[in-house]
Amino acid sequence: MSRRTLSPERPVENVPVPETQEEALRLERPSLRDWTDLRLGWWGFVRKNLDEPMPPGVGWWQTLGNLLLTLLLFQFVTGFALAMYYAPSPSSAYHSVKHLTETVPLGSFVRGLHMWGSGAIVVTVVLHILRVFYWGSYKKPRELTWVFGVLIFNVVLGFSFTGYLLPWDQKAYWATVVGTRIAATVPFVGPDLLRLIRGGEEVGALTLTRFYAIHVMLLPASLVVLTGLHLYLVRRLHIAGPVLPQKGKPVPFFPVQLFRDAIVVLVGLGIVVYLALAFPPAIEAMADPAGTDFTPRPEWYFLGLYELLKIVPQGYEVLATVVIPGLISLGMLFLPWLDRSPSRHPAMRASIILAGTFVSLTIGLMTLKGVIETPPPHHPPAAKAEAPTPDGTP
Amino acid sequence: MCECQNCGNCENGQKKVVSRRKFMAWSVGAINLAVFGAVFGPVLGFLGSPLRHRQMKQWVPVLDEGALGEGETKEVPFTVRVKDGYEMVDRTYVVYLVRSEEGIVALDPSCTHLGCRIKFQADKNRYFCPCHGGVFDNRGTVVSGPPPKPLVRHAVEVREGKIWVQRSV
Repeated sequence: MSRRTLSPERPVENVPVPETQEEALRLERPSLRDWTDLRLGWWGFVRKNLDEPMPPGVGWWQTLGNLLLTLLLFQFVTGFALAMYYAPSPSSAYHSVKHLTETVPLGSFVRGLHMWGSGAIVVTVVLHILRVFYWGSYKKPRELTWVFGVLIFNVVLGFSFTGYLLPWDQKAYWATVVGTRIAATVPFVGPDLLRLIRGGEEVGALTLTRFYAIHVMLLPASLVVLTGLHLYLVRRLHIAGPVLPQKGKPVPFFPVQLFRDAIVVLVGLGIVVYLALAFPPAIEAMADPAGTDFTPRPEWYFLGLYELLKIVPQGYEVLATVVIPGLISLGMLFLPWLDRSPSRHPAMRASIILAGTFVSLTIGLMTLKGVIETPPPHHPPAAKAEAPTPDGTP
Repeated sequence: MCECQNCGNCENGQKKVVSRRKFMAWSVGAINLAVFGAVFGPVLGFLGSPLRHRQMKQWVPVLDEGALGEGETKEVPFTVRVKDGYEMVDRTYVVYLVRSEEGIVALDPSCTHLGCRIKFQADKNRYFCPCHGGVFDNRGTVVSGPPPKPLVRHAVEVREGKIWVQRSV
């Protein structure tokens, strides 16, 4: 068996060999840029990505990925800033959020960017998924690019769900009471699952620390890994291009497509900044487990599920909590294998297009119904008796 | 003759031996497994600790017996000192007390559907859930909507002129 050895004389790969005397001189006494590039290969990497060939016909619809990436990066930055002022315990979470919103300079704006940014991410990720779905871009050899994308979508929803609790106000508390109760409807393991998610029987101190740890450690780490894999595959397998190949030569990513990306990022972030300034984030009253005058209401993008729960008949809530969302998630994840048609043309895969359109429209309409019909969060407060002071066992 | 008879890797009757390379590869794999196990095993056990937690029941006096009239339904808040994770807190709960011919009934105000807080409407003598439209009668039985079970009843006793409710804390 031959043994591979690494000898110190062995030349390092990818280091340019000088062809002219001038080149030799440049490599011998390199500028700072050449010096770093010889070691990092950074400009080569940048150039390769800027020269990435775009199939003819690629346009504005292909800018959503870049917008999403930018929005996600911004969530990291604003989230990091918020975490600097946040204290994840029931006695201090609410006050810390109130303080950073009302007292810290630009606090309301930074929190607004984070809050509206999360909504913008959900909208963008959904548009991005729909674009890939209708263009059939998930087909061979890009199945895994799609799978990592669907996983990213789930991570985004996980971010929303866990982040919603953190302000520890009435809205946060009650949405989480109801949201986590969904886990209890899972057959057989439901109650244990609920206890595991909440860190106990009730939504309390341990629920908050769990959600915080998941929100700032587990999900960001998962997102970085998944996004890295997704982008690696996008570059490795290139962009799929329009459904029907168009005439013309591939065009480099820079400058035209990058310019389009920049415009969309500008508009997207402009909208988020506008919303953060025009509609600063509110904070309700502090979470009150005894409060009876508050109607739980999830974030708007979970309202479709909320409406579904009203429709399913008594005793079948597991359909709305586990079966239907589970089937949709699995259907999304395994879409490249459910759609066996070799053609990307929508007409050639009518059943999948119809099913996807039906599911998307239903979710959209249910969400709209939820937005219109769900009552405002406050009931008129009921007359209460005085709470007796705590006492021991008789 | 080779010991394994038909592995196809043997030559000239040599015994099959694990190559040095393979041995090292397997060792690295086993060490990795041990290292991951050493980290994730305890962490999973640590995170799963709520599964081992058992609830305690506690009797709490919530109302003077005379304050609840015949046929009356009352929303009664009461405060209990509970352990919430790492801290002891005074937590206020609510219970609906109903006095009827079967005696005093204490109903938990959590909807059995998904835990929203139900509201009693005296004019209709019904409990309404604001979330998904569940309706219960004044004894907690489901009248309509998605709730799968009647409202949870807490044990009640009357002692020394007070109504006591047993609650899990």
